Amino acid sequence: MTALELSEIQAYLLSDYQQMGYSKYYLMQVKDAAATKNFLAAIAHGITHANATITDTCFNIGFTSNGLKQLGYNETNMHSFSREFREGMVTEHRQRLLGNFESSDPSKWQWGAPANDRIDLILMVFGKDEAIAEDFYNGIKDKFETALSVIHILDGKAMPDNREHFGFRDGISQPVIKGSGLPPCGNNNDIEPGEFVLGYKNEYTVYPDTALLKIAQGKPELLADNAEGLADERTKVKYKDVGQNGTYFVLLQLQQDVDGFWEFWKKQSVETDEKKRNEEATMLAAKMMGRWPGGAPLVKYDKDPGVDVTDDNFKYVKEDASGNKCPFGAHIRRMNPRDVFEESSPKVSLSLTRRHRIMRRVRSYGEDFIGSAENHKPNGEVGLLFGCFNANISKQFEFLQYTWGNSPKFKRLYADPDPLIGVREDPEKKLGQIFTIPQATTNRVISDMQSFVTVKGGAYFFFPSITAIKFLATI
Amino acid sequence: MIHQHPLITLAEVREDKLHILKTRLEDIRVSLLNAQMSEQPVEFGKVSTLHYGRWVILSRDSFRDEPAIPVGIRLVLTTNYDGIGNDHEDYHLAELVTQLTQYIDDLYECCVGYPEPEERTEESRKNFLKKGLIRTSAFYNGAPGRSVSQIHQEDSLHQHIWKFLKNKKWDEGTPAVEIHRAIKQEIDSRPEFEWTKEKAGVQGIKWLSLIAYGVLFIVMLPLIIGWLVYLFIFHELWDKKVTLAQSDLDDTKINELKKVEDIFPQNQFTQVAVLKPGFARRLNFRIWMFRTRVLAGDIFVKGKLLNIPTIHFARWVLIDKNKHVLFFSNFDGNWEQYLGDFIDQSGWGLTAIFCNTVKFPRTNFMGVLGIIPGMPLTFPGSKFVLTGGAYDEEHFLAWSRSTQVPTQVWYCPYRHLSIKNVNNNTMIRNELRQDLTEEQAKLFLKRF
Repeated sequence: MTALELSEIQAYLLSDYQQMGYSKYYLMQVKDAAATKNFLAAIAHGITHANATITDTCFNIGFTSNGLKQLGYNETNMHSFSREFREGMVTEHRQRLLGNFESSDPSKWQWGAPANDRIDLILMVFGKDEAIAEDFYNGIKDKFETALSVIHILDGKAMPDNREHFGFRDGISQPVIKGSGLPPCGNNNDIEPGEFVLGYKNEYTVYPDTALLKIAQGKPELLADNAEGLADERTKVKYKDVGQNGTYFVLLQLQQDVDGFWEFWKKQSVETDEKKRNEEATMLAAKMMGRWPGGAPLVKYDKDPGVDVTDDNFKYVKEDASGNKCPFGAHIRRMNPRDVFEESSPKVSLSLTRRHRIMRRVRSYGEDFIGSAENHKPNGEVGLLFGCFNANISKQFEFLQYTWGNSPKFKRLYADPDPLIGVREDPEKKLGQIFTIPQATTNRVISDMQSFVTVKGGAYFFFPSITAIKFLATI
Repeated sequence: MIHQHPLITLAEVREDKLHILKTRLEDIRVSLLNAQMSEQPVEFGKVSTLHYGRWVILSRDSFRDEPAIPVGIRLVLTTNYDGIGNDHEDYHLAELVTQLTQYIDDLYECCVGYPEPEERTEESRKNFLKKGLIRTSAFYNGAPGRSVSQIHQEDSLHQHIWKFLKNKKWDEGTPAVEIHRAIKQEIDSRPEFEWTKEKAGVQGIKWLSLIAYGVLFIVMLPLIIGWLVYLFIFHELWDKKVTLAQSDLDDTKINELKKVEDIFPQNQFTQVAVLKPGFARRLNFRIWMFRTRVLAGDIFVKGKLLNIPTIHFARWVLIDKNKHVLFFSNFDGNWEQYLGDFIDQSGWGLTAIFCNTVKFPRTNFMGVLGIIPGMPLTFPGSKFVLTGGAYDEEHFLAWSRSTQVPTQVWYCPYRHLSIKNVNNNTMIRNELRQDLTEEQAKLFLKRF
């Protein structure tokens, strides 16, 4: 097993910083490229890498493709970054893939769309609490004041009890990168590093497309040769790799309509008694999620155990081939199909599933509020700062969102998008939008599904290695 | 049972008319899309035998690699159609030229040799298209025996029963057989579903063919092994390593392809590749075409091509004195998923065919295991023997995109149905009329 170069990799990839109660994401624009490079050179050693001892604060940095261009990144070199990253999250085709329409249309976004101010980079500051995070930021502010301007700030919090605002425990099934030094966790979650870090082999045992330096600029001697050994055809000199130990980060601001969510499920209930109605609404919401609010998987628990259960040790073929326990359309069954990938054998399915995983990094914003059928009216806007790391945005994040999330044709279904993340406000009439809950005899059908999540902004970032940041300071 | 067939016809485009042709194709594309988006009837729908259809301009620019022989500009028409009557091809062509007369005239008057306006009759139009007909080398159908009208009928049956089940309240504990019976009664009471009384023919696996194939394989085994070793030593070892990555692809071309993708849950793919020079590679390609023809026609008849469960129709066609190969498919989901499926499920099957085209990612013993249908990926040693090709994921995806040809007009008659839906609907129809046990009835109800 190849060991990761931990002191090169930004730590947020390997740690969810759960102990960091508060976070501030500063979306910035380059005012002065030279000054920005000076700033990068000055702070490179202070970026939290995966070998660093984490104390009260963490600090990470990512770049959009615009940001690299602003720094003077060579156009030919730019081309070896992945297309998704280069084009950014907002293109006509990508809008269709990601399903960002109606209220989630990029024209309505608060940040990240072409109509908003351009974003070049993201500074992520994490602190044990808000004051510590702000102190840290104020401490580095004078270093970039002439270089960068702040476009937008996203305040985030570690989710209380790991629960998101609808009330469900989050982040239970999370990949562990092989070679990262973290203990293997089983349950098909141990994944080859190349799925998350450039410069390592992925689950196909090949190297992911990486950002080769085809034209020399800055101080290429800082960088290592690319791991695959690709070389200039004429000179036979191996290309330097800017991507080595770097990764891509997807960020989405998702507003959650907690009240709408629970009202919808309560309306589906046939019960008249308040308590029973709340119980049924909770059961239906759990069917949609695939887990009870506390995290207990439906495959193993047919009743709400009422306590938090972070059990990820289950599969579908033997336990629930009929979907009577966990519906085929349930969010977790779509996002991680485990041993039922299309119609492949269980063993093949498990290996195919490993090729479409993401490292989720989610923070919540707005009031600390955990919704439930009984209590679902938060004060003000609440939502998620959804983030995820992946080495191939197309094969991982976009595949999950489109093929497994938005597509109503998932598996053998007819008109079932992912009930949590794939529902459109204005679906194609011919199809409609439903959620099918398999039962012993006749399936239960929830028709006219509604969307409870609205995209407010989003962007793709490149998270370079520490060395690559030092290199970027020299271009 | 009505069989489905592939039709492909090429016409030489007049260079001075190319621009007009492109404009007209784009007009057709846009008006078709607008009509589909607003649920209006479309011109293509009038052709009762037509499943999928497309027009593609194929010129030197469509080729990523240097063509083996000089090529002009051609307008390619492909359809998948229901075979009606003794001369089903003639019947289908007649329908095309009579129902889509305006399209045919508008497009083909930009081509060499199309009849002058005063000479245009059903016969002369048909004869023009006939002149350009070529043979399809291998053809796959995800739902053999299902005609367009049958697919629509069975879709309406599914929807009707779905609504019936949803609107009726069933007492808890009602046996599934009773519900099944109630559904049957409901359908019987509706004259519009009279046709369900006739069982739908579903093509089974031709075991005889499979056995013959197996025997042939065993008999030929020494020869096959010799052939593979020969190819490995004298060809594969000499192939250059391909390093083209997706990030190397031309942005303009990719954007042109993406412009028409993922508008519906189904997509199309058109590809042209140049066969490697030399007798051995050409023979090898023919061998794999033979294999694919047998497997696709006789074995893969249950909605899965080489284990890929998302393809409605696919075909390979040799053109230009058998030096170039065209590949067409109609599939569910998006490009990334589709190609991912190819790699994930059947890298060997694809590799075996396409490794005979130039600048395909380098292979070793090209799909030696692909001879045996359904050979699992996890076969011991397969990782060692079978490397490169489609398993070289990044370079395979780049190869695929870079050899793809933009499709100017694409018609899909049942874009709201996945191939799994189509096959499931037929099962619903057939199981509706069967006497089912409680367990079978439960499975029947799971189909909704």
